[in-house]
Amino acid sequence: MRVNDRRFAALMMAPAAAFLLAFVAWPLVRFVTNGFYDISPVAGGPREFVGLDNFAAAFSSDAFQGASWRTALYTLVVVALEFTIGLGVALLFSALGSRSTVFRTLFMYPLMIAPVVAGLLWRFLLIDNFGIVNELLGIDVSWLSDPDIALFSVALPDVWLTTSFITLVLFAGLQNVPGDVLEAARLDGAGFWTMLLRIIVPLLRPVIAVALIVRGIDAARAFDIILIQTNGGPQESTTTLSLLVYRTMTRYGDIGLASAMGTIYLLAMLAVASVAIFAIWRPGADA
Amino acid sequence: MNGLETTRRLPRAILWGVLVAVLVLYGFPFLYLALTSFKTPSDAIAVPPTVLPKVWTLDNYVTALAKDGVVPALVNSVVTAVLSTVFSLVLAVPAAYAITRYRTPSGRVFVMAALVTRMVPTIAVGAPLVETMRTLHINDTSFALAIAHTTISLPLSIWLLASFFEAVPEELEEAAKVDGASRLVALRLVVLPVVSGGLAVTAIFAFLASWNEFLFSLLLTSVRAQTTPIVIANFQTQFGLDWGAMTALAAIYSVPVILLTLVLQRHIVAGLTLGAVKG
Repeated sequence: MRVNDRRFAALMMAPAAAFLLAFVAWPLVRFVTNGFYDISPVAGGPREFVGLDNFAAAFSSDAFQGASWRTALYTLVVVALEFTIGLGVALLFSALGSRSTVFRTLFMYPLMIAPVVAGLLWRFLLIDNFGIVNELLGIDVSWLSDPDIALFSVALPDVWLTTSFITLVLFAGLQNVPGDVLEAARLDGAGFWTMLLRIIVPLLRPVIAVALIVRGIDAARAFDIILIQTNGGPQESTTTLSLLVYRTMTRYGDIGLASAMGTIYLLAMLAVASVAIFAIWRPGADA
Repeated sequence: MNGLETTRRLPRAILWGVLVAVLVLYGFPFLYLALTSFKTPSDAIAVPPTVLPKVWTLDNYVTALAKDGVVPALVNSVVTAVLSTVFSLVLAVPAAYAITRYRTPSGRVFVMAALVTRMVPTIAVGAPLVETMRTLHINDTSFALAIAHTTISLPLSIWLLASFFEAVPEELEEAAKVDGASRLVALRLVVLPVVSGGLAVTAIFAFLASWNEFLFSLLLTSVRAQTTPIVIANFQTQFGLDWGAMTALAAIYSVPVILLTLVLQRHIVAGLTLGAVKG
């Protein structure tokens, strides 16, 4: 590579790099720094350095611990349901071959819809008294007003909205599973479940990893889809970390504490995602 | 097709039946939203609810569009999404091109940065950005919100475009350079026309990311630049129990997206699965 090529490449990347530094990295640095200060909610108000006080307060607060568990549980429910449905539908599409193209397109639509619309829609479907879901199923479940099940209920629109992503990614992966391997297994008398667990899933592992990591990250950050359904209620049962950080900052005006909570949340996400990336995905192993 | 015919023992009809059932379940919520938007306001919250409107009417659409702030919010959504798409492409095209063609170590840093950016909770960037925009005297403008939305779509655009550029044979540019074209001219006249489909896909994703985004919009706008998702969220307080008008506005906001998807479906599937699957 000639030096001026290198310089040309650097010049081409500079605008995007400068943008990300100015509008992502720098705000992030300020956000993390704010966690070490006690900040007046009034714009331009006093800032006082308090060391790790905010972090200690965050860890010892029930609200934060509760929200952390709820975020983990919500992410787990969403990803588990999506993976199960997504893999099932991808296998269906695969088995039905090219004639399922139209259906694949239909299945993709929810992906394009705003989470806030999906949340609103499902709130309307599940609402007490005039919700159509209870009417059609002939049951009377207080989906969004019973604290014991509300966290599960608010996960439904997220599953509805994004399962298609997992389906599409897994379907694309399934196209690369060599037919003769499966044929050989069938001649050896392997049943469907054996093939699925012993051949298909192991072969799809890198693809599955990408799908789960991308969806897991997004589910852990869910905000609007929950906010519009329950606003974190009833009795805080759907207050996940993103809602708690937002509320601590805007409603209670405690910028320092909110920033400390947000920083812990961010580090936890990075840690979990990194472990996932290196443990399951092993980038480069399949490139 | 491929070798996944493990299911040959099951009659095809059963598989089709299952698939249709799944799709009906998937499509029903949206169908119900559309149907409700044509009901009268009292029918929309009738007990017990009905699937089909008793009386078909467009009143909800009239009510929703006549509401204070709804039309300006729709305009703001379009302006913000268009601006953000332009920002993303202008910044991402040269960066993605340099990453794929020159394979400098810094290129790899970029791809990692794109991954990390995706993991950052929106509020961690959004809250400090409110201060930044205030300092620059552009708070509560579509311009500022478009910048915020670009923080989401730029990493995604670089990622997508890089994989499109990968597919362009280098010989094409080499030939142009032999003919005396500079690197930039070769990029503009030879490479970009070849990846025009990829540019379109990237533009759609950038547009949709902005169109559907909520939390940045909530933090960075108050009155003038408010986008439709925020209006939808505030409906509760404004409209009380007017679910009819709410479903109408939700439908209005989703229709352009659905049309866009319909027109460009094949490209979108490629874009969604690209990067996740090589092959």
